[in-house]
Amino acid sequence: MDIQTLLSFEWGMMAPEFTILIVGILLSLLDLFGKDTWKKSLPWLAVGGVGVAIIFLLFQYGHGDISILGNTYVFDSFAFYFKLILLIATLLILLMVISRTVQQEVRDRGEYLYLLLAALLGGMMVASGGDLISLFVGLELLSLSSYIMVGLRKRDVRSSEGAMKYLINGSIATAFTLFGMSYVFGLTGSTKLVDIAREMSGSLGSGEPVAIIGFIIMFVGLAFKISTVPFHMWTPDVYEGAVTPVSAFLSVVSKSAGFIIIVRIFWGIFGNATFGGSDTLFATMIDFIAVLAFLTMFIGNLVALRQRNMKRLLAYSSIGHAGYILIPLVSLTPVSLENIWFYLLAYAFMTIGAFMVIYILEQQKQSEDISIFTGLYRESPALAIIMTIFLASLAGIPGTAGFIGKFNIFVGAVAADPAQYILAGTMAVMTVVSYIYYFNIMVQMYIRKPQLEGTTKIARLQSVPLILCVAGTIGLGVFPFIALNFFH
Amino acid sequence: MTTIPLQAYLILALILFCIGLFGALTKRNTIIVLICIELMLNAVNLNLVAFSQLGNNPGITGQVFSLFTITIAAAEVAVGMAILIAWYRHKNGVNVDEMDGLKD
Repeated sequence: MDIQTLLSFEWGMMAPEFTILIVGILLSLLDLFGKDTWKKSLPWLAVGGVGVAIIFLLFQYGHGDISILGNTYVFDSFAFYFKLILLIATLLILLMVISRTVQQEVRDRGEYLYLLLAALLGGMMVASGGDLISLFVGLELLSLSSYIMVGLRKRDVRSSEGAMKYLINGSIATAFTLFGMSYVFGLTGSTKLVDIAREMSGSLGSGEPVAIIGFIIMFVGLAFKISTVPFHMWTPDVYEGAVTPVSAFLSVVSKSAGFIIIVRIFWGIFGNATFGGSDTLFATMIDFIAVLAFLTMFIGNLVALRQRNMKRLLAYSSIGHAGYILIPLVSLTPVSLENIWFYLLAYAFMTIGAFMVIYILEQQKQSEDISIFTGLYRESPALAIIMTIFLASLAGIPGTAGFIGKFNIFVGAVAADPAQYILAGTMAVMTVVSYIYYFNIMVQMYIRKPQLEGTTKIARLQSVPLILCVAGTIGLGVFPFIALNFFH
Repeated sequence: MTTIPLQAYLILALILFCIGLFGALTKRNTIIVLICIELMLNAVNLNLVAFSQLGNNPGITGQVFSLFTITIAAAEVAVGMAILIAWYRHKNGVNVDEMDGLKD
């Protein structure tokens, strides 16, 4: 490849990634060599970088598909829409980091920021990866940065323990994913998704069992990222051990990246592979995913019932939500991708919002127990009402983004061919079960009396992510068509 | 040169992967667990290299992929050891059984 071909690629399409990369490197250099007086403004540099990346990305709206370096990096509408979720969620989490009032939690402030950006870059490369190698490297960039972020509070034993558990689980999951990828590579002799899809669209012949083994092993490995059965057990421990913004990051950005890579690989490769003459290989394997979705919804929501620690509760609820998002993968209608996207967007706003409220209360009361919500309505009516909005959205009450997301998935599952009545029914039942633990928090907030007299104030910086999340949750709930029209 | 059939490599890799998985799930020493994870990743490398030489459409891609895998596995172990040292300072040991501070 000579210099002419290298220059002929449309490198401008990678502007969002380059922005994040440059800002990340700049932050690490400034953190190392800069004066202490500068360091206070480093978080704003990170926010600015992500903001600029969002602007660059929005300029690419409606741009045609292109590929750089022989399909290693692809830009298509899929990459565009999912990168937008990653960037918006990271922006909200950075605002959450800035709002911190208690300083002793993580002293090494700069590291925190550029690890967040490195993880975001990994997620964006996953969204644009068109090659098994670049997908894998992007995913590992995300994972390795997350391991360090969880363990950053190194003087806290819970943080180290959470990070160690996360790393061991994550490495085993990586080994599974790679083992599956190696079989897919062996069947087709290529790592480019386009070539793999072309090779697989012919008759697989005696390769069919290998393809099925590759499918299952790869899916099990990637289930780690989206924290579904069988790799879900790390979630509560890691969320509890990590600092709250990092828990929010794992819950939203890391999970979205997991769904992105699953859609990219499984629809891209196995959606085209013919199996047994007629069906695609993906269509024959949906029962496998359906079982995982069923178990995930079941376990996540039932175990959440007996949680007292708020971060553990949100961890189990996030497992349940991951189960809901698996349903569009099973139902395979033309609107499945749209449903996944909308649910992930709604999920980003409501989950980050809920984590933000917990973060505010946690810093004031030095506790993560559910009792931090006791009598919150008397201490701070505004905060209680805001939390109610997020809880209503997580529970799926009409008028919120969570309701529209759940409704679309439900309709998609029933309208699918063949209709997934069992999954749709499980989803409805589990939504009702989830009311119990979400409403329990509301009971704490409105009915119980506060243990200590006093008021809880929201600092000005803390209100910024809260207002954005409320706007997103209500806005997507009342005017979902804005987002859905944007998607087309 | 290549008189050994592809299947032999694949079976060896599968056995290595299973040994690694078994060790990672049962061993008590965290360092052994990390070594077992390395074993699983090396099984993948064996698969990739065997496929790139003897599989369909032989080429250099598989070897490149295995180079990436080796590099990232090294990074993963480096992070793992760093976290393990942080953990060691708290507990003066590397026993997996003692990681029971976080539970329901």
